[in-house]
Amino acid sequence: MNFTSHRRHPLARPAAAASLALAVALTAAGCAKSEDDADGAAKPSATGADADAGQKVAAPKPGGKGCTLAAYGGDTLDLKGATVGFSQSEKEANPFRIAETRSIKDEAAKRGVKLLTANAQSQFSKQISDVQDLLAKGADVLVIAPLNSDGWEPVLRAAAARKVPIVTIDRQINADPCKDYVSFIASDFVEQGKRAADQMIEATGGKGKVAILLGAAGNNVTTERTKGFKDRIAEKAPELEIVFEQTGDFAREKGQQVTEQLIQSQPGINGVYAENDEMGLGAVGALKGAGKKPGDVKIITIDGTRNAVQGVVDGWIQGVIESNPRFGPLAFRTLDAFTRGEEVPQEIVIEDGAYDADNAEQDLGRAY
Amino acid sequence: MTGIAVRPAAPDRARIGHWLQRYGVYAGVGLLLVVNTALTPHFLSVENFRTQAVQVAPVLIVALGMALAIGTEGVDLSVGAVMALSASVTALYLGYGLPGALLVVALFAAAVGLANGALVALVGVQPIVATLALMVGGRGLAQVLLPQLEDIRNPAMASLGSGDLLGVPYLILIAAGLVLLVAFAVRRTTFGRQLLAIGDNRTAAQLAGLPVKRVLMVVYVCSALLAAVAGVLATARLQASDPTSLGNLMELSAITAVVVGGTPLSGGQVRIAGTVAGAVLIQLLTATLIKHDLPPSWTQMAQAAVIVLAVYAARGRGRR
Repeated sequence: MNFTSHRRHPLARPAAAASLALAVALTAAGCAKSEDDADGAAKPSATGADADAGQKVAAPKPGGKGCTLAAYGGDTLDLKGATVGFSQSEKEANPFRIAETRSIKDEAAKRGVKLLTANAQSQFSKQISDVQDLLAKGADVLVIAPLNSDGWEPVLRAAAARKVPIVTIDRQINADPCKDYVSFIASDFVEQGKRAADQMIEATGGKGKVAILLGAAGNNVTTERTKGFKDRIAEKAPELEIVFEQTGDFAREKGQQVTEQLIQSQPGINGVYAENDEMGLGAVGALKGAGKKPGDVKIITIDGTRNAVQGVVDGWIQGVIESNPRFGPLAFRTLDAFTRGEEVPQEIVIEDGAYDADNAEQDLGRAY
Repeated sequence: MTGIAVRPAAPDRARIGHWLQRYGVYAGVGLLLVVNTALTPHFLSVENFRTQAVQVAPVLIVALGMALAIGTEGVDLSVGAVMALSASVTALYLGYGLPGALLVVALFAAAVGLANGALVALVGVQPIVATLALMVGGRGLAQVLLPQLEDIRNPAMASLGSGDLLGVPYLILIAAGLVLLVAFAVRRTTFGRQLLAIGDNRTAAQLAGLPVKRVLMVVYVCSALLAAVAGVLATARLQASDPTSLGNLMELSAITAVVVGGTPLSGGQVRIAGTVAGAVLIQLLTATLIKHDLPPSWTQMAQAAVIVLAVYAARGRGRR
């Protein structure tokens, strides 16, 4: 495309230039959008074909309690003809939320269930009213990805009055299980941190200096992934020293900037543990900018997004612990069993996968 | 208007305040350089200065536009949103080549700037409110255009973000060029004089027959265009378009750089060299705390302390 013809008189005919550029912009917007749609349409079938992509339940905790319809109250229900309400906490702007919402939608479509969805856009007050709306619109069961653990009393009371079963995913609600809600399904974030530490120990040989790129402050995911990592390092590799802990706010740019400062002041750093993939990819950018080669500094991240697993294939990232966002099949299976009158566990911990140099290439299709 | 009507009862204190406002930021930068040279390993290296300069470049470019807005006794809160918007637009239109994408980015930015300028100059909305609207709406639009982070694999963008000319990264060259351009515009052009006159006393400027509305429109368009440049450069450096988090809180960093650099919020003055030093001061402060692995919350508190100090120093001059 030739833009030089407009350059000679950039201000002489702004209106003409602007309208032309606007026309270009609009045409291009059309193209870009359709490309995006095609891409989006292709993805679910690709993941849907892969049976391994769904979540697996980890071994149930000994002494874990169950919940039945009789104990919770309410009548049996055939999920097939029911209406399911899904309340998502955050905008689908990151791979985790996108995959999570898509998984719920795909599973609802597969089972032929009517699904109502709402997105709280990271505002807790909106999530409360979202759930109230879903109830008012006739949701028979609810799947909630809570933004906060606390503050759910008004909604739970409304749901309890109507005996609507609730399953929460990826974060727990602070309330009585089997009374205020049926069960919660989530990853064990402390366990993820421990497994990341195991990978770090393996990658570095258990010796040297490592840095932690923390997630956003005051977030339980950050706290738990940090605790698991530190506990396991202290227990298994006391010669691996944690010399640097700074927040990257779960964002790529911040992860890159912090890592740039780190490698300048501590060029001998052996490893970087990033508490999510995005910060890990930022760290990769910083290492590239500093002229390092893949493997000079070992990077371990958590989440399992496609970009990070590709980083493992390329040799820049040594290990990725998965945090599986595909809650759909397990959430619906739990609700189906529960509404038919079977007993379901109050707490379902899922088993997350992991990627390293051995399996990254062949399992790339499983990454989200 | 320098130093008039200081209270005769406390001339020394006023003089100290005046000195602090004018030169405090340079003293601060000098102090941080000395402290880091003594205490931070590998601080005195070309690579380190390059890193700090590259990291500060987008903030500095945004701060230049902010200095113009503040010079008119206004403010532009929409700069972070414009950065996000330019990131989205860059990702969407790179298929037409970098020049084509930049043209569309400039168009979007100019539209935001015109909207800001029209609200401030024609409708008479307070700048803080007008640009707040565009701050919220702009980021919303950025996320509608590009709902999630997208990797950018374009050789021209890669070279823009990490390439250099004779060892000086393009980012630094572009930032330096824009500093000179804006400094020239403020000091040597009619536009600069008119801008300062409007900031000093808008009514008087109007009565004197200055084109107040046009100048204000140009100021907000310039601010938006500068923010768009910063957004494109940050995107090029990241090799990804991230409309959700790119430019978050950038308006605050930019305002801090301008105010710490000695430009009064009351308008009528623009200190470009001070703004550069202000941005560098905040960057060095953050770098120092990160390099010494101090808790991240300290960075915020340290920045707050610098702002309070700057506002305290400016206090004497505010009373006219």
